Amino acid sequence: MGEVVLRSENINKHFGITHAVQNVSLSFEKGEIHGLIGENGSGKSTYCNMLCGIYSISSGRFLLDGQELKVKTQVDANRSGVSIIVQETGTLSGLTVAENIFLGNESRFMHGGIKNTAAMNKEAQDLLDKYGFGRIKAPVMIDHYNFEDRKLVEIVKATYFNPKVVVVDETTTALNQSGREALFQHMNRIRNEGNTVIFISHNLSEVIEHTDRISILRDGELIDTVKSSEVTTDDLKRLMVGRELGGRYYRTDFGEPISDEVVLTVENVTVPGEIEDVSIQLHRGEILGIGGLSECGMHEVGKAIFGASYGRKGKVTLSNGTAVNSIPKAIKHSIAYASKDRDNEAVIIADSIRDNICLPSLNDLSTGKILKHSKLDKFAQENADRISVKMTGISQYVSNLSGGNKQKVVLARWLGKNSDILVLDSPTRGIDVKVKADIYALMGELKKQGKSIIMISEEIPELLGMADRILVMKDGKVNGEYVRNPKLGEEDLIAKMI
Amino acid sequence: MPEQSTLEKKKKNPTWLWNLTPLEKNNLTWLRNLTPLFGMIIIIAVFAFLTEGNIILPKNLKLMLSQAYVMMIASMGVFFIMTAGGLDFSQGSILGLSSIIFCWVSKTNILLAILAAIVTGAAMGAINGLFHVKFKIASFIVTICTMYLFRGLCEYFTTNGPIAASIQVVALNLTWLKLLLTGVVLLGGFLAFRYTRLGADIRAIGAGETAARYSGSRPDLTKFLIYVAAGAITGFASFINVVKVGAITGTAGSQLETQIMLALVLGGLPVSGGAKARFSNIVVGTITYCVLAVSLPMVLPDSATQQLVRGITFLIVVALTIDRKSLRVIK
Repeated sequence: MGEVVLRSENINKHFGITHAVQNVSLSFEKGEIHGLIGENGSGKSTYCNMLCGIYSISSGRFLLDGQELKVKTQVDANRSGVSIIVQETGTLSGLTVAENIFLGNESRFMHGGIKNTAAMNKEAQDLLDKYGFGRIKAPVMIDHYNFEDRKLVEIVKATYFNPKVVVVDETTTALNQSGREALFQHMNRIRNEGNTVIFISHNLSEVIEHTDRISILRDGELIDTVKSSEVTTDDLKRLMVGRELGGRYYRTDFGEPISDEVVLTVENVTVPGEIEDVSIQLHRGEILGIGGLSECGMHEVGKAIFGASYGRKGKVTLSNGTAVNSIPKAIKHSIAYASKDRDNEAVIIADSIRDNICLPSLNDLSTGKILKHSKLDKFAQENADRISVKMTGISQYVSNLSGGNKQKVVLARWLGKNSDILVLDSPTRGIDVKVKADIYALMGELKKQGKSIIMISEEIPELLGMADRILVMKDGKVNGEYVRNPKLGEEDLIAKMI
Repeated sequence: MPEQSTLEKKKKNPTWLWNLTPLEKNNLTWLRNLTPLFGMIIIIAVFAFLTEGNIILPKNLKLMLSQAYVMMIASMGVFFIMTAGGLDFSQGSILGLSSIIFCWVSKTNILLAILAAIVTGAAMGAINGLFHVKFKIASFIVTICTMYLFRGLCEYFTTNGPIAASIQVVALNLTWLKLLLTGVVLLGGFLAFRYTRLGADIRAIGAGETAARYSGSRPDLTKFLIYVAAGAITGFASFINVVKVGAITGTAGSQLETQIMLALVLGGLPVSGGAKARFSNIVVGTITYCVLAVSLPMVLPDSATQQLVRGITFLIVVALTIDRKSLRVIK
């Protein structure tokens, strides 16, 4: 056992009703690269964001060298010796490379209120040269460099001051081979200097190869910490996703035949930069699951079917031959869509529950172009009640509702529209267990009524538990297809995703 | 026993507006909706007091009304635009140019002239809508540019002096006619806003354009149409404007755009538009504005002081009545 540099004690994070990180106690040693893995939403990024002052801690504490770490911002964290390279771009456009590197730390170049830009640029360039990124020039605007070079600048920014702990969050996905090697080289250098790297990645073989120990999170809880030399990728997969299947809120039926009647055909649909040549047939009364890693293009498939994609090529047709190529047309022909981006695309949060429920059905609700308000109220109330939205009344604004109740409003509007084809993207994202169960029950009921559902999901248990058929996507293409089967395991799907 | 302790707390802390829970505040939205109305009543009361009842004399009421017709009609178009989340600074220039066209055509036929003014206004609105929707330029930038463009045309056409309308037009300067036309236009707008899909779409687009698109609204088309409609409505208002003044100079209608937007905000319209827009904002706002505009000169004869007090009054009224929560969602 090496000397512990950083320890977390019972760290918790709540986002409203969601318990994202639950009592995580973990120790990191001096001079180690410590992998942190888990499914999407398992809490690994949230945990690190709390460490680095990006999120506040709900309860618990971090101890760095035995001292409690109290940081409110990323700059605070840097001063205490903790830094992070984030998943998304962490550089600010409109600033030069040097200004980005020394962001929040400009005072060292200030003399009597005047910034010595030349000195700043020189020091930044020296650092870039030292890191082997000499082709990046310090005085140039960051915007002139591509995404990958910006990531390299971030590596310098996060590590030049010799922090005791460096978090590398999913950075490798943005880098090509040479960039990755440079990153691993610097991770090793940091370790050899006696400091610590926390490495978050979905690429399990990469994690095993480059780390000393690995901790696994699942649903916000710490499952185990293992030695990298003693595990295989299969072991890790099992630890990551190995929860009991067939839990009580999923469907329990297997082997029920699906109708041969095709209600929706997607033919060779391509959306530039998102999906390529996707073809799908959806049957009557079928729940079709689409899974994959979050960037695999599956979310765009939902938009493409709903006519919401920009620059879509290929055809989406209904059984009667009607082509669906715009949102109003999709809605008119009984297609519903619940976006993953609930607050921006699925509901109008700055509007009432009534307006949100009525909006897609206004054409049906008007008698000769005239809207009757009593009719709208009744319609909204009935549909909100059908799925028991928790609210003070239909005039309440959606912005005041919890995530689960917002999703219920989304479902209520499509129940009201009586759509035959429902495209549900991440229907249970950020939703607590109880509402989750309600949503699964509703899906089962709709299936019984002969409605067809496309469920796009990043949660593998949900796909296995609810879908009649599962398509797995990778890099914008369909990479595998599975029929509902009790023997089907999460490993099978993961194999086609990665 | 937790229930009892909250009860005791309630007793110790009486419920005031500032220590309500979000839920309780939500239940009080009706009160917020009435704030602009109270503002209007207070302003009328204050000025009635300051002018010793002068402002409610028939001749002054008539003066106020004469200012209100054009503004009320033109502000209806801007109301639609602002509800959908946009702004429009070009309405004053649109009024000026439509008025000039009206004057020219009125010498041939007055009905034809009204039609020509409406078409001119609609065409100018279409230019605004096209640049905003098709070329994706923020509405306030587009309309500030077209404000100068249309004003430039007004000044060009009036280089040789004001343009007079046909003599017959002046004969139409009848209070009942102006009242009737204003009423008809407002009623039409009200019905469209409240009882058709258009109104629901406009509010949804202002509250959240992307989500409205995903709900089946057509934001681009709708926004284009309301810019055209706003232009057409102001084109119609130019008829009443000419009836009132008889001849048009290059500066006709200037400042109208800012007056309209101030009036709407005074009337309680959130600057960012959206679901909280009420049609009554137009009426309440225009009346409040006109009362201020007519009463101030009576109380303060000096025009410099008038400007000063006008500015301060607007700031105070807006600060008291504006809905800050909805401001935060401006994109």
